[in-house]
Amino acid sequence: MKSKIKNKIKAPLLKKVTRINLEKKIRYQSDELKSKSGQLRQGANREKLGFNREKEGADRERQGAKREKLAEEQIHIRTKAMESTFDGIFIIDAKKPDFPIIYANQSFYDLTGYSKNEVIGKNYFLLYGYNDNSRVYEEIKQTLREGKSFQGEMLNFKKNGEKFWSLLRITQVRDKNGITTHYVGNKTNTTLMKQRDLEIKEQREELLHVTRVGKLAEFVSSLAHEISQPLTAILSYAQAAQRLLKEREPQLQEILQFIINDDQRAAEVIRRLRYLLKKTKPAFESLDINVLINDTVSLIMPDVTARDKSIKLELFTNPPLIQGDRIQLQQVLLNLISNSLEAMESSKDAHELSLKTSLKDKYTILVEVKDSGCGIPEGNMKKLFTHFFTSKQDGLGMGLSISRSIVEAHGGHLEAENNHDHGATFYFTIPIDLKNNR
Amino acid sequence: MPAKIYIVDDDESVCRALKTLLMTYEFEVITFNSAQSFFDNVAVDAPGCLLLDIHMPGIDGWETQKKILASGCKRPVIFISAEKKDDALGRALGVGAVGFLQKPVNGQTLVDLISLASDNYQAAQ
Repeated sequence: MKSKIKNKIKAPLLKKVTRINLEKKIRYQSDELKSKSGQLRQGANREKLGFNREKEGADRERQGAKREKLAEEQIHIRTKAMESTFDGIFIIDAKKPDFPIIYANQSFYDLTGYSKNEVIGKNYFLLYGYNDNSRVYEEIKQTLREGKSFQGEMLNFKKNGEKFWSLLRITQVRDKNGITTHYVGNKTNTTLMKQRDLEIKEQREELLHVTRVGKLAEFVSSLAHEISQPLTAILSYAQAAQRLLKEREPQLQEILQFIINDDQRAAEVIRRLRYLLKKTKPAFESLDINVLINDTVSLIMPDVTARDKSIKLELFTNPPLIQGDRIQLQQVLLNLISNSLEAMESSKDAHELSLKTSLKDKYTILVEVKDSGCGIPEGNMKKLFTHFFTSKQDGLGMGLSISRSIVEAHGGHLEAENNHDHGATFYFTIPIDLKNNR
Repeated sequence: MPAKIYIVDDDESVCRALKTLLMTYEFEVITFNSAQSFFDNVAVDAPGCLLLDIHMPGIDGWETQKKILASGCKRPVIFISAEKKDDALGRALGVGAVGFLQKPVNGQTLVDLISLASDNYQAAQ
């Protein structure tokens, strides 16, 4: 039970690995080229010296045959590779005025839904010109005319009208004089990635909406409370004065009645406003805290990567289930994570944010969000969770107070403390759902 | 001897205003800004009705009522709060209070409830 999964999510690292692989490949290929041109040069030198011409001749013939066989093999491998890749690849003849496609691999046919007869000899842009966005094609043509390669993501249609997203790259193939003889196009189906992106975006927007509504409701609620107090006092004073005047001073009596009426009108406005923004009842369900954390992290990962930070997950294996409102708890996590990111914004050395789940005791799960940012000034510690307190220039001071009230509505506690070295840790507890566990 | 009313509310202005109003009804009114100072200054068996705010820093209204019940005191309590949760009245009655009033409180309604409370209290004695 005590084992932990250590799991690092580090998007920039992935890119780095790909880049290193690419560099390796390039180095390998250029070495190969160098050794080949070296062999050629060696041959030419020998020829100049004029030794053993006959023997050389025979050797050369043998080598020639060997080289031919090698070259054939190479062509075979390359053609096979091109045929088996997932990307749709096509080659355009740039010397002919109508730029016909002279080759396309199987994936290209699969991707577009067109058959070989419908593709070979046709202009790429005519191929699905009337269906697609002609502005994009103008842009592609312009880019190619300027001698640059094109790269862009676009929505395409298959022959049967089905939509798909693709990443298209078109580059020039030049002869030894630098004249463009062909274009090679590379089309990758990005529909799945695009869908996932859209899903994440939708979830983020839903969460943001809920957060905004939550903030507004909390804001109105505390505002209403603050205004109700003086309204209570005003009403009581006016009613007291009315009683003290009893049957005297009818004009003053009337004024006091107006004060009372308007006080009650203001109270009614507040009551209605509060009713309008009444918090929707939290929808409690059985939740796995780790799943919730993973979902939330995937929502905020684009932000984390953009800020050049990373998130380390230390999640307790098979945590007992809890009872909670998924959206509200995500709101708390998102709030704590984005606070941590902001705290690390200013310090260049602070890169890692860690999220940890553990068992505090038999009945309680503990969630910690730890950063290595600027920490919390001692003077702010006490006010941290109160309404309208903020240390940010554009902050409203609602985030942490709402987070705390959400956690408390779940029967837990939200606290913060500074770390011994750098930054701060926010941690909250959530009781384990004793009735509903595995 | 006039009937005694204790008011516990963290808002000083609310305390002063309610006291002014209730004094026109000939009550003797003593106000406190926290439950703690009420407990420190009023004996468990001292007679009087309590107007109790719910949202207060430190010991809140519900907690105060719990303590009062735990001490064996039968003091009539009326909850007052700016915020009206759906079940506020039900909850108040559930913990043995006489009633719940939402702020701003109408004077006559409050006094009627206080009279009802002291009638009940005297009948129970």
